[in-house]
Amino acid sequence: MMHHVMGVSGYYPYLVALWLLPLVGAIVIWAFGPQLKSTAGPLGTAVIGGSFIGTLLSWSSATQNGGTAAALGAHQALFSWIPGFDFGLLLDPLSLLWALIITGVGFLIHMYSIGYMDGDKAFARFFAYMNFFVFAMLTLVLSDNFLGLLTGWGLVGLASYFLIGFWFFKPSAVAAARKAFVLNVVGDVGIMLAIFMIVASVHSIGFGDAFAFAGSFSSGWLFAICVLLFIGAAAKSAQVPLHTWLPDAMEGPTPVSALIHAATMVTAGVYLIARCAPLWSQNLNAQELVGTIGGLTALLGAILGTSQWDIKRILAYSTMSQIGYMIMGVGVGAYEGGVAHFFTHAFFKAQLFLASGLIIHALANEQDVRRMGGLRTKMPLAFAAMLTGVLAISGIPGFSGFFSKDQVIFGVLEHGHPWLYALGIVTAGITAYYMCRMLFLTFFGAYRGGVDPAQLGIRHSELAGSAESDDGAHGHAHAPAFWMNVPVAILIVPSVLAGWLMFGGSTSPWARFFAAQFPAEHLAAPAIGEGLTGIVTFAVVLVGMGVAWSRYGNAYATENAVERLRAESVHMPAVLANAFYFDAALDAIFVRSSQLFGTVFGRVVDPHIIDGGVREAAFSAQWLGSLMRSFQTGFLRAYAFILVFGVACFVVYYAAIAGGAR
Amino acid sequence: MIALIVILLPIAAGFALYAVPDAHGRTSKIIGTAVAAATLLMTAAQPHAEFSMRWLSRPFTASLHFGATPVSIWIVLLLALCTTCAILATNVPRRRNFIAQMLLLEGAMMGLFLARDLMAFALFWDLMLLPVFFVLVNWGEHTATAWRYFLYNFAGGLTLLLATAAFGILYGSTDVIGRADVHIVGAWVPWIFAGFAFAFLIKTPVWPLHTWMPPTYSDMPSPMVAVVSSVQSKAGLYGLIVIGMAFMPDYLRAYSGAFIVLGVVSLLYGAFVALTQNDAKRIVAYSSLSHLGLIVLAIASFNPIALKGAIVYIVAHGLFSAALFLIIGYVEDREGTRSLARLGGLGAVNPRLAGAFTIAVLAALGLPGLAGFAGEIVILTGVFQAGYVWPTILALVPIVLASAYMLRLFQDVMNGPAVEDVPVRRDLTWLEGIAIAPLLLALVLVGVNPHALTVFDPAPYSVAASSQGVVR
Amino acid sequence: MMNAPAVPLVDYITLSSVIFFIGVAGVVVRRNPLIMLMSIELMFNAANLLFMAFSRAWLQNEGHVFAFLVITVAAAEAAIALAIVVTVFRTAKNVDVDDVAMMKG
Repeated sequence: MMHHVMGVSGYYPYLVALWLLPLVGAIVIWAFGPQLKSTAGPLGTAVIGGSFIGTLLSWSSATQNGGTAAALGAHQALFSWIPGFDFGLLLDPLSLLWALIITGVGFLIHMYSIGYMDGDKAFARFFAYMNFFVFAMLTLVLSDNFLGLLTGWGLVGLASYFLIGFWFFKPSAVAAARKAFVLNVVGDVGIMLAIFMIVASVHSIGFGDAFAFAGSFSSGWLFAICVLLFIGAAAKSAQVPLHTWLPDAMEGPTPVSALIHAATMVTAGVYLIARCAPLWSQNLNAQELVGTIGGLTALLGAILGTSQWDIKRILAYSTMSQIGYMIMGVGVGAYEGGVAHFFTHAFFKAQLFLASGLIIHALANEQDVRRMGGLRTKMPLAFAAMLTGVLAISGIPGFSGFFSKDQVIFGVLEHGHPWLYALGIVTAGITAYYMCRMLFLTFFGAYRGGVDPAQLGIRHSELAGSAESDDGAHGHAHAPAFWMNVPVAILIVPSVLAGWLMFGGSTSPWARFFAAQFPAEHLAAPAIGEGLTGIVTFAVVLVGMGVAWSRYGNAYATENAVERLRAESVHMPAVLANAFYFDAALDAIFVRSSQLFGTVFGRVVDPHIIDGGVREAAFSAQWLGSLMRSFQTGFLRAYAFILVFGVACFVVYYAAIAGGAR
Repeated sequence: MIALIVILLPIAAGFALYAVPDAHGRTSKIIGTAVAAATLLMTAAQPHAEFSMRWLSRPFTASLHFGATPVSIWIVLLLALCTTCAILATNVPRRRNFIAQMLLLEGAMMGLFLARDLMAFALFWDLMLLPVFFVLVNWGEHTATAWRYFLYNFAGGLTLLLATAAFGILYGSTDVIGRADVHIVGAWVPWIFAGFAFAFLIKTPVWPLHTWMPPTYSDMPSPMVAVVSSVQSKAGLYGLIVIGMAFMPDYLRAYSGAFIVLGVVSLLYGAFVALTQNDAKRIVAYSSLSHLGLIVLAIASFNPIALKGAIVYIVAHGLFSAALFLIIGYVEDREGTRSLARLGGLGAVNPRLAGAFTIAVLAALGLPGLAGFAGEIVILTGVFQAGYVWPTILALVPIVLASAYMLRLFQDVMNGPAVEDVPVRRDLTWLEGIAIAPLLLALVLVGVNPHALTVFDPAPYSVAASSQGVVR
Repeated sequence: MMNAPAVPLVDYITLSSVIFFIGVAGVVVRRNPLIMLMSIELMFNAANLLFMAFSRAWLQNEGHVFAFLVITVAAAEAAIALAIVVTVFRTAKNVDVDDVAMMKG
């Protein structure tokens, strides 16, 4: 059978180098960590920077020969894993975009970590893990086949596990790490089954083969493949109902949250669906399902974002909500829009997380926004970064988020999903509300760090969770180092400006870049135009901001902040405080039932039923033995008689019965 | 000749070791390691060595014929490697006698996996039970465990011997292992098949014949259980491939439904029980039940891809279960307990031990890039391709469960705050590190490049099987 | 070559059977171990007689060989059995086999 390879096959040394460099960095830093000491940070950062340059070089070398690779991508064959399972690298516009974000934003976050993790006992180990994550994520996006993608998929899960549980002496971090890993394996398993279905039908793991024959799949088969792939995407990208690990994952150090749990890893689901666009495009049912779940996740994440007090959990739920947008976009077929939102989100969400890290760092690991306030003057850079981030994520015109979110929302309508369109607009308003709530609580009014936690309505259990989040390495408030300020300042630029790449409709640089990747579809123009959509969305966003201003931002609210926060904490609806009971439900349905099975099998079936059966066999052997004993009378003549009787029986049998029959 | 030497050398060295005066066990450790390493080098240098000598001519011909088959070559190398590592890691009282038993076990299992004759196979099958039995009696915690192990496996050995004799009478020769052109037919063949299958399923073990295994694995000292779980448990699976599938494919195919059910039940059952155990060794024991069920599933599917995966997974499981048991042994040496409830926080004081444990655990839970994943994914691809959709779906559930129980095992020992009554002990010594490193390295190598292991071409077996037609 | 046997084969079989069943009756009925031993010897000799008869009838020498073997085994068996009887007599002061039942299961 002829193999269909995506991209122009060739020899691209830069591509291999950019892929392997972070792995080499991880191994070197891991092995020589104690010797490297504090140079591990700059070394790890430089490695990622080198990988970023490698990405640029490999793209320019790929586009040198006639530009065909620019449209199709560059393909580098690597090796045959087992016969028939060939591995290779593919750099096309889609994977280039991801690789640039992974290495580019990754570089900035590595740089930031030099300051943030300064003084930690396991400083070198942190950078080894971070480099390993970049390698894993590059494996995921650069692979030219499903199995390589799954390998990267599993390895980023591992890196995420390592980094969530980085402070492994904290039971909460350990539990969060395990939860994230196990929930992600649920997704891995979904992808595995999809791979089995693909291999069974096309006898290859390559993207090219799968997409070339996608048209020959039956509709049900294709739908099953899409759903299974989406289970993987949902687990990795925190889509309902597999999202519960993401808020817990904030147990990791803040740079980890920025890189893995905001900018890159959690968007792997978006990448997967965009990569498998040829599959999704042929199955409207899959589009409907995935788009709906994405929309629901966007809404649920936004609603939960309004009720959080931990600054990182607010950002975590906002990440979940924003990825919901992306999934909704790529799910229904608005691939360019979904991918565009990934692009801008990577900048502004990384910036928001890094800014929150500045605050957490300065306030001695305080993460509760109720105990912040008034930081505007004390931390002007953090405020500037947070403000631009909030404006970008809310979709204020001119900022990056506006362009990409608009593309998603309008794209959904173009593809014929008016309900999701409405949902997207409503969610935009809620997003503006909770992001501004966070901004006002953190930077406006008076500093509440000295207020008794009980007066703010903070329960004791919440307090224990946030205050002990470190090993005491930076247990005192101090000014963020140069290493931390520079990346935050740099990130402001793209999070404001990146959206302009998408300006100009079908002639924008963005649309032209992806023209070959996502061929334009001929869709009926919807009743509501793109311009009107933008205006409506902006109006809803303003309403959300206004509500946040009236509740948290104005002079009256900031003066009475302590009582108002206390009232809000105490009267928080249980359904919100328990995050719609998803955790409890998953726990009851899957965790408890598995443990019940294990207990019943281990304590009842094994010792009593199976071994009971074995004991019965032993008893019946004993019974048989005692039956035979009764013949052992000890009387010699009785034995002789039995012998003679037995011989007589044989004789009679052979002489009379068997002989007679013949 | 090499094929005979690698069998006889460990046995001779094992007996000879009893004559060595060695109070501290240091000399015997050196001798034991040297002998095991020598067998490893010899098998690696001459993997295709064969030895043959006439043994019986009546009532059927049998030979003392030894030499690796394409399937067994990797198991033999695994055996030599695991024994070397395990002897190096040995730290038990009366060390000389223990190492002697380890060598006897290695020799017996070498004989089993190199046997090209069914009679020799049956002979070494029973012989390999004895060292384990003696170790369980002398070093184990309960003598009842030793008897349970012995009775279960000897019952299997008996049916194996009867089946072998019947095979010889029916076919006229038992010098057949490794040949793909031998098929026996006749009214007795279902019984012969049943005799072999019973022995193989007990030895593997497969649910519901597994209850000898958890106490055996938890009672035995770690170095021996590392070898037993990694290699001895493969005897049954190896037999299913080279005997059941090669000589009686119609019957294996006819009963493949039953085998698939047993495999899937073992997979799920072992995984669920492993979730709730408190003894670290029992977690690994039940995880073995689960993992080996996957190989049974692969063999019963008759798919060439699944069979290749089975070979990869046989080696992978051997490597990671040996590594896990050795590491749990290290933990037990240090802390005097292997109860998860009483352990915790070791990672902070023993980072090297934690690092080694991490790799073993990740391989066991099927992390991509390590050996376990390679086996799993290739097996399940094949099983799905063979049309067994539901078994494949059910076999994916234990992958999720494995990540839960393996991480629980790791985290409860290494992570979290240190348990207060557990004193701080030294990290992995260099000797302990050398003992475990080859296994971990092999896990990575096999995971990254399983190509070499798939040189085994199952086509003769599965093609011969399909040409016979399906008997249902 | 020898001449054909004068006595018909069936007579040998009849005689041998009679001797054999006398032996059987002796073992089953009598309680004196010495008599039982002699009865066993009778059964052996019945078998020997048959061996010789058939050997002669079919002109094959294996029968002679077996007869010698049986005589040898019988002698050995008698020696062991007498030793046992003597030992039992010394301990039990009695030679009734029904009283010697300590091997009861």
